Amino acid sequence: MSHDHNDNDPQALYEGDQSKLYSGLMSHHDDIKSPESKAQVKRLMKVLVLLSIVTVVEVGLGLMFSYTMPRGILNTIFLVLTMVKAAYIVSVFMHLGDEMKTFFWLVLMPLLLFVWFIIAFLFDGGFWLNMNLTAPVR
Amino acid sequence: MANASATTVETKAWGGGRSPFNVSYGKMMMWFFLLSDAFTFGAFLISYGTKRFFSAVWPDPNHVFHAFPFMGHANLPLVFVSLMTFILIASSVTMVLAVHAGHYGDKQGVIKWMLWTIVGGIAFLSCQAWEWTHLGHLTGGLWGTFTDGTAPKAIYEGYYNINSEAWAAASPAQLSEATHNFYNFFFTITGFHGFHVLSGVAFLIIILINTINGTYQNRGHYEMVEKVGLYWHFVDLVWVFVFTCFYLL
Repeated sequence: MSHDHNDNDPQALYEGDQSKLYSGLMSHHDDIKSPESKAQVKRLMKVLVLLSIVTVVEVGLGLMFSYTMPRGILNTIFLVLTMVKAAYIVSVFMHLGDEMKTFFWLVLMPLLLFVWFIIAFLFDGGFWLNMNLTAPVR
Repeated sequence: MANASATTVETKAWGGGRSPFNVSYGKMMMWFFLLSDAFTFGAFLISYGTKRFFSAVWPDPNHVFHAFPFMGHANLPLVFVSLMTFILIASSVTMVLAVHAGHYGDKQGVIKWMLWTIVGGIAFLSCQAWEWTHLGHLTGGLWGTFTDGTAPKAIYEGYYNINSEAWAAASPAQLSEATHNFYNFFFTITGFHGFHVLSGVAFLIIILINTINGTYQNRGHYEMVEKVGLYWHFVDLVWVFVFTCFYLL
């Protein structure tokens, strides 16, 4: 474990420990008390507060309007708020927003398959419910 | 030889010797693993949705999840699961603070924030253990409950909105099927997620031991903390969707 590459020869790093080659995110900083570091911590705390507020709002909406608001509107609000939370977690906590744009899309594009996946399967479920409820003999 | 490669590095993005995405192999593979895991969880949640669309009636989360530890029979819908959600989000923040400390090579900071993350993970697992135990007592088991299609409608009253038209129109057979499916999916999906949290805690402990031993300090960087952090945030991300699908919609 103690045999690690500490020189800056690219070929040696490529064969050994690649992670030092790519300085983007892991670029080394010296002072954790620097204004730059504090600004980043402040940004993280803002996201924590935001995610907590969104969760409280979701639960509040559920408690107040579950039986009074049309389910379609309420569910749309829930799904939008869920996507907001997901976007903050992926882009800020997981730093995907700080990666190269090509890598960002490399990870996110395959998720587009979910669009077909969700539509096809939920439609199928609804179709069978309709078949069962309207069948002459059950 | 080294010089020849260094020249290639400058000219060809895909010619080897460098990462066109400017990301290390380990981190990229962690992202690809998480992508595949997203499809596994997605398949689970979509099959849950299919069964739900298939059913004429479905349990109401406001009635199923209304208990809180040590509060007796107080009616507190969704309060406990909000607490669980907050614990997981907070542990995600302590994790990202550990990654942040790693960027600055601050070993003590990494140790401190990873310890808090482990505490958060264990707290979440304890909450889930309580919830499972509570629901198991209520329904008489975890998987495979509510299989008697001739049981009277009254036994389902605690799990449904009994003022709804769907409840009024539902037959005992439909209620048995829907309740059975709901609990099977609930324990399968939250169980699969809980197992991810459990293995995440195990990874965190391993990485914490390495940090304490100075492995990453000698290596010159804390990228391993970042990779485990990605996994941990993903577990939090999945919970956001599980929370919406089971407790809100």
